Amino acid sequence: MSELIVVRVYDIIGGPLGVSADDGQRVYDKIAPLLDEGKMVSLSFEQVETMISSFLNAAIGQLYGKFPEDRIRELLSVRDMDDADLPVLKRVVENAKVYFRDPERFKKAIEETGDDEE
Amino acid sequence: MIYRLQTVHSRQDGYERLAELARETSSLSASRLELDFSRVGFFAANMAAPLGAVLARVADRFNAIEVVNVPEMVEHILRKNSFLTQYRYPAMDDVNRTTIPFRRLQRSDEGLFADYVERHLRGKGIPRMSEGLGKVFKKKIFEVFQNAVIHSESELGIFVCGQFFPQKQRLDLTIVDAGIGIRESVRRFLGKKISSIDAIRWALQEGHTTKRGPQPGGLGLKFLQEFVRLNKGRIQIASRFGFYEFGNSQESFTKMAADFPGTAVTIEINTADTTSYVLTSEIQPESIF
Repeated sequence: MSELIVVRVYDIIGGPLGVSADDGQRVYDKIAPLLDEGKMVSLSFEQVETMISSFLNAAIGQLYGKFPEDRIRELLSVRDMDDADLPVLKRVVENAKVYFRDPERFKKAIEETGDDEE
Repeated sequence: MIYRLQTVHSRQDGYERLAELARETSSLSASRLELDFSRVGFFAANMAAPLGAVLARVADRFNAIEVVNVPEMVEHILRKNSFLTQYRYPAMDDVNRTTIPFRRLQRSDEGLFADYVERHLRGKGIPRMSEGLGKVFKKKIFEVFQNAVIHSESELGIFVCGQFFPQKQRLDLTIVDAGIGIRESVRRFLGKKISSIDAIRWALQEGHTTKRGPQPGGLGLKFLQEFVRLNKGRIQIASRFGFYEFGNSQESFTKMAADFPGTAVTIEINTADTTSYVLTSEIQPESIF
């Protein structure tokens, strides 16, 4: 078992607001190489007050495009996250799993109901 | 040219009036627009944001803009929220502190937008809101702004404006881009010609996103809808020929009479909401992944 590395989101984004996809990308860029090396990562949200789905999609959802689900479950954990944000992260994760299983599925859905022009 | 604007409410016909202004001025270039407000009996303060987006397009084609004959009541509203100061009107103090001013930001101005939210929503019903509501509302605003940053391709920026109604315990905030519209994003993504209404309908589905590349998406608008349902507030989306409204548990999609060039999202929140948004989560951090 490798040593646990605590990654502080606040320090990466430089403040309490996780409200942009760019900031989320910065977090992703920090943690993806660690997971790639098989390191155990604990992502700390201490002092992060506001987070939105675009931020979490970029920071965490995107990991499912690179790593298998069981690898993420094995290596990544979250801590110090506000209770109100946990359900949001859960939905981001579930959405990402579905997305990467079949990114084209939403295109298929429209073809059956698609309207034409105004 | 002289264009006589009419009354603009924060509803579908208000966007249609502004879309007509956009259409009538679309071929004006290196010239002058005199925007005559003499027929404007009422102008909803938050609608300064979509008007700002329409006029930014006009100005971008090297036209000089002059706003004239503004009735006194309307002038007061639009000076207090700083919209008219762009057109050389003096600023007016917002004594009642109910204004959420007009601002034009660039897509890269995310930090400035965060400052705007912190500064101008404070004291607008938020002290009376539960702490949880204020926090959730701010998140929704950031989601909408971020949607404009990611999807709009608006070179002219993002326009915001709002108004707090203490008596009605309502707060309206409108965020507008002068970009390609939801229809164009969805058409490009699907490779299929669909109407503005169908494009909005598609974009509101959970998990639907036009983003390409490695970041999933498609949750922001769904979360916004869920919040508004709980809060008993309202959402409006005007984008190209499509108008969507959700409020009072009712949802409507309507085709507009004219093409609004860009996307406008209005969130109206019920500031008297006592719902607790700080629920004890049943989700444990260990079960996230």
